[in-house]
This record gives sequence, structure tokens and C-alpha cells, in this order.
Amino acid sequence: MSHTETYYEVMRRQGITRRSFLKFCSLTAAALGLGPEFAGTIAHAMENKPRTPVIWLHGLECTCCSESFIRSAHPLAKDVVLSMLSLDYDDTLMASAGHQAEACLEETIEKYKGNYILAVEGNPPLNEDGMYCIIGGKPFVEQLKHAAEHAKAVISWGSCASWGCVQAAAPNPTQATPVHKVILDKPVIKIPGCPPIAEVMSGVVTYMLTFDRLPALDRQGRPKMFYGQRIHDKCYRRPHFDAGQFVETWDDENARKGYCLYKVGCKGPTTYNACSTVRWNEGVSFPIGSGHGCIGCSEDGFWDKGSFYDRITDMTHYFGDQPSGVKQFGVEANADTVGMAAAGVVGGSIVAHIAASAIHRARKNPDKNEQPAETQGSND
Amino acid sequence: MSTPDPCIQVTELTALFQRVYQQRMQDMPMVNPALCVEAVGFRPWTDRCIGILITPWFMSLIALLPSDEGVSPPATDEKCHYQFPSGDYDFLVCYDEQFGLYHSCSLFSPMFDFPSQELAQQTALAVLDLLWQAPEGAQPAQAPRVEATGKLSRRQLLRGLRSEDKP
Repeated sequence: MSHTETYYEVMRRQGITRRSFLKFCSLTAAALGLGPEFAGTIAHAMENKPRTPVIWLHGLECTCCSESFIRSAHPLAKDVVLSMLSLDYDDTLMASAGHQAEACLEETIEKYKGNYILAVEGNPPLNEDGMYCIIGGKPFVEQLKHAAEHAKAVISWGSCASWGCVQAAAPNPTQATPVHKVILDKPVIKIPGCPPIAEVMSGVVTYMLTFDRLPALDRQGRPKMFYGQRIHDKCYRRPHFDAGQFVETWDDENARKGYCLYKVGCKGPTTYNACSTVRWNEGVSFPIGSGHGCIGCSEDGFWDKGSFYDRITDMTHYFGDQPSGVKQFGVEANADTVGMAAAGVVGGSIVAHIAASAIHRARKNPDKNEQPAETQGSND
Repeated sequence: MSTPDPCIQVTELTALFQRVYQQRMQDMPMVNPALCVEAVGFRPWTDRCIGILITPWFMSLIALLPSDEGVSPPATDEKCHYQFPSGDYDFLVCYDEQFGLYHSCSLFSPMFDFPSQELAQQTALAVLDLLWQAPEGAQPAQAPRVEATGKLSRRQLLRGLRSEDKP
């Protein structure tokens, strides 16, 4: 009987100790908001499940997603996840090159048809028949479609793959197009950010590989466990916003006091991401912690929304009446914003729903009591 | 020695944020002019007072503290962990020079989802109902607990894992 390696076997082969393995499981459970009791579930899954191969493609991008991922805050997480992925194809990280590399890709697709996960960093440019991004002598869009055809699911790494990012900024000369607008017949999980947080990337991959299912997604296809809240909701400078204490100009007295950065352009109130909770560099800090406002890099079209230093003034999207052609931060990001202002009604069921959502968001580790087995992904 | 009921500070809290509204938040695009500052459903809990503050720019759970509990400004990013029947919550430690310390947990901000004060009030009351209820299928409520800040250390995390993993 042929034997397919489990994740655990792959890790041991890579020299990772059992102690480190268990530590990784507990850290991952915490990062996923599942509670420490799920560390055992993750460990059991990784010890017994055959490894799921991952193909990692690169289109138009700057490789900041890979840079973030391989510098995953905890060195252990980096080692384990990289071992776990074993990256059957990643033209940045793999050892092979040229025709050998392309052969690896074909071999993986053939061998694991229907069972591999396709991770995409960057996006395909469609203008001029895709000639602005050539991989192995062919337009990237062809490689993307070919690899996606037999993939179990697709992960869009970063804002490039999720929304288009800077290469899709107006006038978008190459017609750079996000992955979900090219791959229409597979579930696409968006992990936006420029780059995404390393723990978010490794957390989502670990969840998918160990539990063999998609995490619960919001209406825009982002994992709720990491993109369910805005930066503003959990920002440590929030008491200053509430108290009307704002930085008026850079380096003024209020800046030195650590007041809210809204007036100098912080997009925290309209940006869905985990920066204010997970943070960066092993949880040390995030842009607001360093005295700079959030630039909203995980939101759709953030390059086309004016200067990073313009304060948010247009709130029309909250009324469901946004000017045509203008992409607003946070539009449709939260199903809760749909009903109340737009409908303008006072209804018991709407109030109950909004209240339940608010208390769920406010609660610490709101999903820790949810069994992953019951968490079904959706991509509506 | 008896500690004064922290709920007597509710009026002062409302006055504080009315002043903030008048003095600092006028003409701010984040303000919903259909709303006003209002305290909803404050009630005593352990030695503190818990309720919701509605303002035109945010709605938050607020914990008012006993007057003898610290008056100095908190450290940056200081949090306080609360355990209510519905679950665990992290509150930010807030400080005003005149009012002193209070704890805050964000529910909504900005407030454009609320076209009227009445709707905001109803939502606040519904949130408080849920706050004091154990969620469906949850374990029986534990004794109320408030813990001063502190992130879970890796060592604590590992200890938890190990004790549960023992066969």
C-alpha cells in the first residue's frame, strides 16, 4: 500500500521536534481564535491527515506577501508552515528553475488533481492578451487558469490578488484583474493586505490544511476570523477618538501624546483587518502604534481613494446611496450596515440581529466555541 | 469602609461627553447629527457599574469604577479583561483628567447605521440583554471576574495545552 506522508511526518523529516510541533499547534489555535482546547484537534489532524500540496503562483506583484509569510513573526510558525506546505511549486522559494520548475508544476497538477490548494500572489494582466506578465513563455493568466482548473480551492494572497492593488490603480494600463474575476468556478478566499499579516496567512493555510475546509467567509470572501473587525474597533488609540482628542498636524503636541490619527488621514474607521489585534513583528506594533495612520491597504481600490493623508469625509456609503463609480471604504464589508440606515426602519428583528452581531464582535475570541467541523465556508 | 456606588458617576459621564460633543466634535464628518449623548441601562455589577454610552460618533460598553480605584493615567494600550455571563471581553482603559478612569469596549463607530436615537436606544438595550445572558449551548456561567490587563504569555498558553493534553 502506498503511503502518503502526513504533515507531522513531513515536519519531523524537516527536523522539527515534537515539542516545537505542539507549541506550533497551540499558537495556531490561539491565532485562529479557537481557544487552547483546539490545539489538540490541530495536532491530531496534522499527525493523521495526508499532506495537502500547495501550488503558489506569482503574477503581477512585488513579492511582499512572500516576504511577509517567510518572516512569519514566530520563527517556529514559519518553519512549520513552510515544511507543511512543502511548496510543490513556488517560483520564488523552490530550488528548481526554468523547464524543471514548470515540469514540477505539471507533475503536481497531474498527481494531485482536485486535491491541491492554489495560492496566488499577484494578479493577471489581461490587456494585450496577457502579455504584460509572462511565465515560462506564456501569459500568466493561462498558467493561472490551468492551475486553477483542478484546484480544490484558491487563496488570493494580498491586495493584488484580492482587489488589484497598485497595478490596477487608474488608469490600469495593463488591465490588471483580481483573481476572483478570472477564476469563476472555484471558491476563492481573499486574504487582502499589502502585505497580509504573516500570522493571518499561516493561520488560514493551517486551518484549511488541517481541517480540510474553508474558514467562514464574509460577503467579500475574506475569512471572518481575521477580517471581521475594523482597525478602529480595537485600536489602542480609540479612547482618544471617543474623547475628541486628535492629532491636528504631524509632530504637534497631540501627536506626542499619542492622540487619534483620524484628522491626519487614518483609514482605521473604514478598514477591515486584524492589525490592531494581531499586530506585526511578533505582535510588537502596527502602523498606528508607530505614529502613522492606517492607509487602508486591505480595502478594495485603496490607491484610488485620494492621499493617504486625506481624512475620511465621505460617509455616503453608510446610507446605501454612494455616488456611482466611487468605491468607498468598507462598502458591503459588513452585512449589518445594509439594513438599518438604508431601510430606515425600527424593527425588532433588525435590532436583535444588529445587537447580536455587535456583542459577537465585541466578545473576545467570539468563535472559540465553534467547532471547526461546523464551520462551513461560503463564497457568496 | 464602604465604597461609593460607581453608578453615581453616570450623570458626570454623560456631561463629559456632551462637553466633548460641543467643544471638539462639531463639524466632524464622523458625527451623526440625528443622535445625542445618552447613557443607557447602567447597573451595578461587582464593585463597578456597567452600561452603554450612546454618542453621535460611537456606542460603547462602559465600566465605571469605584472612586478609590486609581486616578493616574493608564499605560499606553492598557486593557482590562471582563468576564460576563455571555463571555469574555477586553475593555480599553480610558482616562479623562476631570473624570478619571473608566473602561470602554467598542460596539459601534461611526454611528451612521442609526437613523434615530430611538433605534440606538433599542439596540443598546438589546445588547445589554445579550451581555447578561449566557449564549445558547454555553457552559454554566462562572463567577464574575475582572482581571487587570496582561496578554496571555506563551508559557501560560503552553501550560494550558499541556495540562489538557495529558492522557
